[in-house]
Amino acid sequence: MKIRFWGVRGSYPVPGPETNRYGGNTSCVAVRVEDGGPLIIVDAGTGIRKLGKEMMQSSFGEGAGTAHLLVSHTHWDHIQGLPFFAPAYHKGNKLYVYARQRDDTHLRAVFASQTDSPYFPVPFENVQADVAFRELVEGARFEIGPVKVSCTRLNHPWIAIAYRLDYQGRSVCYVTDTAPFRDILIEQEFIRTPPKPGDPLKPEDAAKLAAMRDGVVRLCEGADLVIYDTQFTPEEYLQKPHWGHSCPEDAIEIARDAGAKGVVLFHHAPERTDDQIDALLHYHRKATPDLEIHAASEGMELDLSGSSEVKVTTKVDP
Amino acid sequence: MQVTFWGVRGSVPAPGPEMNRYGGNTSCVEIRTAKGELFIVDAGTGIIGLGRKLMAAEFGRGAGQARIFLSHAHWDHIQGFPFFPPVFVPGNKMTVYGPGRSSSMLEGILEGQMNPHFSPLYTMRNLGAVIDVVAVDGAARDLSFEVAGVKISARLNPHGATVALAYRFEETVDGVTRSLVYASDAGYPPSGPSEDVRALYRGASMLIHDCTYSPEDRAERLGRGFSSVADAAAAAAEAKAKKLVMFHYDQDYGDDVVDALAERTRGLLDAGGGHDIELVAAREGLTLTV
Repeated sequence: MKIRFWGVRGSYPVPGPETNRYGGNTSCVAVRVEDGGPLIIVDAGTGIRKLGKEMMQSSFGEGAGTAHLLVSHTHWDHIQGLPFFAPAYHKGNKLYVYARQRDDTHLRAVFASQTDSPYFPVPFENVQADVAFRELVEGARFEIGPVKVSCTRLNHPWIAIAYRLDYQGRSVCYVTDTAPFRDILIEQEFIRTPPKPGDPLKPEDAAKLAAMRDGVVRLCEGADLVIYDTQFTPEEYLQKPHWGHSCPEDAIEIARDAGAKGVVLFHHAPERTDDQIDALLHYHRKATPDLEIHAASEGMELDLSGSSEVKVTTKVDP
Repeated sequence: MQVTFWGVRGSVPAPGPEMNRYGGNTSCVEIRTAKGELFIVDAGTGIIGLGRKLMAAEFGRGAGQARIFLSHAHWDHIQGFPFFPPVFVPGNKMTVYGPGRSSSMLEGILEGQMNPHFSPLYTMRNLGAVIDVVAVDGAARDLSFEVAGVKISARLNPHGATVALAYRFEETVDGVTRSLVYASDAGYPPSGPSEDVRALYRGASMLIHDCTYSPEDRAERLGRGFSSVADAAAAAAEAKAKKLVMFHYDQDYGDDVVDALAERTRGLLDAGGGHDIELVAAREGLTLTV
């Protein structure tokens, strides 16, 4: 199983020299298993545009490709690249889109409205690939070819879900976007004034958060790698606990409790420069030497094909 | 008027080292009038960097006022708005002008991008700033109005299956009138711009014009409703503009490609009766005086 990062940013894309090394595209990760296995893409931020270009060099360019897109949630930074995903406009390709079921709106309608007039010139009807939507219910488990997929709910506005992929005894989890599970329960209402971290919670909220945290720890149990939303520093989190994002400290705590082997810092804040991410990575590697810690960057490939180690390589753009 | 470019890219933000010099942010231009009033044209991701700068002054204290002019509501022209830091500060005032049959329809379009499926903001009403929305009716004959002592006219250009407003800003200081025209996302028919649009461009001190494509790329993508550099050069020459500013580059054009296009545009101007037109290729951070 090889995991390659195509977009590592949260909130919005950030072009510019200060993001050249880690990359400025919003969230998109590609997971490939042995030759001939299914291509799994997690989230469709702007990073999916260049992934799509690379895919067009393979069977997708001939209209004979199949890809599975797992969507954590439909906030812009996780879907905004899809209208620029070349394989979708090529007849014969197949795209399966998985996301959490909504009570009020079918997933197809949510995705189609992204390209409605007056927002985008190419309507969803122009998508030539065969697109099938798979709506996931709480705690769904399913298989994509030889890859086992499981998921669990996260603490984020309008609700996001985390995924775990298992293949030949190796595993990777994708846990974004989420706030920690201690100060505030974020559901489907806009939170105007957040509680202060440390304020007592309503008992029912505390119970829901504890259950959600258990779900995430169980999902990550013994995983080789946990890719985690680490948009905030602890200081930033105190200002915005209701925005639904975590800190590296939260990721490390969950990974420890789950007995995971490694953590990948992901969904970097848009304003975080390359040098600041370097510093964060250096700090946490030093503070937590028992965990393997990486900071996701565009082009980074993590190879879980061996027996236990993680091989890290960097690929250049197509 | 002073013009600063914060985003010069079309369609989708394009991060990457190959875009470092011109920039990968989508469309946003800051205009400062002689009296210091702030106009912003289009709200692509470039507006976020502008907003950060604005927070250092009155917008950080909730005492700022901005007028935002939208050419149209495609994502690359509005996607920065929910991340524009001044919108979160109570007390700031913003007036958004844009195409629409009615102001409530235009407001609905802006609301659409904050829908809870897509945005944690849920609705514009959760933003701290006071936001007024004013539709500039593209169908009306008289599209001229005055804002903060600046005379503004707007005309519709065809843009693929839809339309985009081109704006002309005219300011008179000490008896001298200077004019800035912003014409992005213009896909002219073979006959060129309409009579109304030609009149809008005529004699502009500065024409910021859609230069999405090379002529070859445009020929292959006619339906997308963008200009080639040849269309821009022809429009500038016909209008006898003083200065042509290339804008809204394709997301796949790296810095070297834009350099080459600029050279080519110079040649097109010289060959098309526009040898006395100054040419500038817009890049992020560039400030020009009109």
